[in-house]
Amino acid sequence: MTREKTGALVILLFSVAYGLLATKIPLSFLSEQEVFTARTMPYALAVAGIVLSLAIIILPTVDPEGKASLGEATKGMDWSTAILLVVLMLVFGLIMKWLGFILSSILFLLCGFRILGETRIRLMLFSAIPLVLALWCIMSLLLGVYIAPGEIFYQLGVL
Amino acid sequence: MWDGMLTGMMTGITTTLIPINIAMVLMGCFAGSFIGMLPGLGPITAVALMIPITYGLDPTTGMVLLAGVYYGAIFGGSTSSILINAPGEAATVATALDGYPLARQGYPGKALAIAAYASFSGGTIAVILLMFFAPMLASIATSFQSADYFALMLLGLTAVSAFAGRGGVLKALLMVVVGLMLSTVGTDQTSGIQRFTFGSLELLDGIEFLLLAMATFALTEALSIVLKRDASSDSLNPKMIGFKSLKVTKKEFKFILPTILRSSLLGFFVGVLPGAGATLGSFMAYGMERNLAPKEEQKKFGKGSLRGLAAPETGNNAASSGSFVPLLTLGIPGSGTTAVMLGALIAYGIEPGPRMFVERPDVFWGVIMSMYLGNVFLLILNLPLIPYFARLLAIPRTLMVPIILFFSLMGVYLVTFNDFDIQMMVFFCIAAMALRLMNFPMAPLLLGFILGGLMEDNLRRSLMIYDDSMAFMWERPITLGINLLTLFILLLPAARTLWERFRRSSPPEPGLP
Repeated sequence: MTREKTGALVILLFSVAYGLLATKIPLSFLSEQEVFTARTMPYALAVAGIVLSLAIIILPTVDPEGKASLGEATKGMDWSTAILLVVLMLVFGLIMKWLGFILSSILFLLCGFRILGETRIRLMLFSAIPLVLALWCIMSLLLGVYIAPGEIFYQLGVL
Repeated sequence: MWDGMLTGMMTGITTTLIPINIAMVLMGCFAGSFIGMLPGLGPITAVALMIPITYGLDPTTGMVLLAGVYYGAIFGGSTSSILINAPGEAATVATALDGYPLARQGYPGKALAIAAYASFSGGTIAVILLMFFAPMLASIATSFQSADYFALMLLGLTAVSAFAGRGGVLKALLMVVVGLMLSTVGTDQTSGIQRFTFGSLELLDGIEFLLLAMATFALTEALSIVLKRDASSDSLNPKMIGFKSLKVTKKEFKFILPTILRSSLLGFFVGVLPGAGATLGSFMAYGMERNLAPKEEQKKFGKGSLRGLAAPETGNNAASSGSFVPLLTLGIPGSGTTAVMLGALIAYGIEPGPRMFVERPDVFWGVIMSMYLGNVFLLILNLPLIPYFARLLAIPRTLMVPIILFFSLMGVYLVTFNDFDIQMMVFFCIAAMALRLMNFPMAPLLLGFILGGLMEDNLRRSLMIYDDSMAFMWERPITLGINLLTLFILLLPAARTLWERFRRSSPPEPGLP
């Protein structure tokens, strides 16, 4: 299957799920009598999504770039690095509240540099620390935006 | 009208010449050139990355900054196209066709200088046209009703797909629909009913537009650099560009002048079409010049032709300015980047459209007049800085990619201070990455998302006015006209395919080789 047909199949499933969820949108007694309700647009969009994705699946692929299969198109890609970066971003979101902006950001950048293969520790530190501190200064001191310190500082009794 | 225009221009000049606005034009041009130059990052990413900074600013100042970033990024994209054959985005692909061969022949400085002059001329001519056309369209648009707006939004969304590449029409339309679906998440404005929130408090207000823009563009573009093991940013030798190499002779100027004038006009009018944008502007200008060139010159196209370089560079800058016409006068974005800017305007509490011309002349005229200044700054700033900018391209991706990811995540977090948004961004980034790998475009999705709420509102209002009848689609002459145009644009790709088939199947005339 060509990669654009694979994509259309995924969106077809998404549109069907979206349409089914749209039937669960609650309506008040009065709004049920109206022609245009909170469900109208979602229903129309679900139908449009299903029709268009089916059209892509059924009709022959014209776009030369879309003709390759997903396997061929993604062959030789550096998946492990990309997955590690995605995991790093998720972890960053989780630790932000606990470690606070400065610590978690520096850790994120150092880990990111390392994942991409950077080995020069000094360069990593000289890139990450001033960047994060500069951003913190701009936001907190210059623009007056309050950035809460991490929970860890309260738990350790530092703040 | 002329009196109003003169007053507006004066308002624009006084607004632009405030020191903070001058500083923002300068900063926008600089930041845009820098971000646009980085391989993989285009104007949408550049504008999205700058939005969090503008939230603390006055709306006019914020828009002036974003406009500067926009045309700065278009200019920056051409630098990476010429130097390392790595167009930052689609609008500068045509620049690489002749710019890169020129650089390889030993004239990187000349190519960059011609690109700078062409961008300046294209941008400036388009701003003059924008100044006349925008108020004209705005005054006509004051008589528009909900039905016309609904039809216009339909036109904008379908036009995006019609201008997609070969075989891309259905995909672009499908992405518009997905964008519209995402816009329905949250609380329904009229009834107050929750839709697709799954009981989550974070989704009550819907999906944050900045979050979606950052996830679908900035994060995915950084990740695709990693996935493709794109080492282009490591391969440049910046020493090859010196100040002396930037010289362009008088003869060369005279040679490219007609190209610049033609491409400026074409680029502007292409940019005005909703959904067309800078990409189409650059390719159409390139195609037109190749067709108009004498046979000897035609052979040089793709091998380092000066006209082949000047045309797309002028065309994309003129189209960028042109795309501000539907944004400022109708509230309908002309391209993916202006869709992001529309989101920013709405976030400031300003509703773009014909009323903006009357209600917020400072924003309307401030943005237009700041473009003159921006084009001059781009020329003055970028020409001497080209050798230094080129060095920035040598920053290794091992440092650059995590920094881009960090700024994208922070851009959203520092606005909402909600760590759930970071998780949601990663989720959308994975989905967008998958769609990109399956060759689906992202700009129509963003356009659909931005226009979704407005479209639903206008459709609901039109139905109410017309007693739940769809007659509003053909009863008003303006609506009917716009709908016919939409139909024409939708049928255009099919008609083109049929015409090509007919031409191929018809036998050659006797006597012809």
